[in-house]
Amino acid sequence: MSPEMSNEPQVSKVSPRARRALILMIAGLPVGFFAGRWLLGLRRDGHWGGFDPSGGDMLAFLLAAFLVFAGLVTAGLASSRKALGRRINGDDVRAVTPATSAQARFYAGQGLVLVLAGAMLAAPPLAVALFDPLSPLLASAVMTGLIALFLFQTVGNITLWIRSDELMRRTMAETAAVSFVLFQGLLFLWAAGEKLALLPALTLWDAFNVTMIGYLAISMLIGWRRGFAD
Amino acid sequence: MKNRLKVLRAERDWSQADLAQRLDVSRQTINALETGKYDPSLPLAFRIARLFGQPIEAIFQDEA
Repeated sequence: MSPEMSNEPQVSKVSPRARRALILMIAGLPVGFFAGRWLLGLRRDGHWGGFDPSGGDMLAFLLAAFLVFAGLVTAGLASSRKALGRRINGDDVRAVTPATSAQARFYAGQGLVLVLAGAMLAAPPLAVALFDPLSPLLASAVMTGLIALFLFQTVGNITLWIRSDELMRRTMAETAAVSFVLFQGLLFLWAAGEKLALLPALTLWDAFNVTMIGYLAISMLIGWRRGFAD
Repeated sequence: MKNRLKVLRAERDWSQADLAQRLDVSRQTINALETGKYDPSLPLAFRIARLFGQPIEAIFQDEA
């Protein structure tokens, strides 16, 4: 019997996860287009004509975009307990348990913390780019805002730690430990190479962005090993 | 460490989310325990033992 004549229900070859990824990619196209057009418009208006982004700045922008995107997706998911339940409780095909309100609050908080991290990361190079030359007064205002955001985000991080279960806490603690040992070692080697005039000098901004990307990569690896991707 | 969590859960027809709710942990924690990717803390092991009404050593076995 040909497939067209079969009474069997047609099973889609595209998994729901792949379909969602495809929809997000398509949705990202206009967002990227208009964001790019806005940034180019700013450059045309002379807002960041003198801005020459360093490698660290580019890393910061990339990381900030990733964090804001991940934060918005997480917060968006948390706005629907049914959708969140599908994502985090999706082991049982008979009935997906909707997320509890505590879980929804936890993921909304996680989304907010990610968005704030992205905003803080992008703020310094963005301020330099948009207000070129950046006056000391404006720089102080940006720094004050950053300190306020940092304190707020730290409270958010501590709240997430308190509300996490033991697997999540273990994953965070392992990520922190591995990151510290790895980057402390790398920092020493780079500093020694710099002292011996064998390596170029790094700014603190460059070093911070490299460690931040490394931290995220380590957290994803440890999360994957602990089964968070399952 | 090996454990019989998946079997005990299946006997009661509970999903991972059901068990997670009863133990006040995330579904990911139950999945990590069942797949051997994570060993529970002693307090969680006691909670699991109490929930299934069995001693800890009847649920968790040392592989050594």
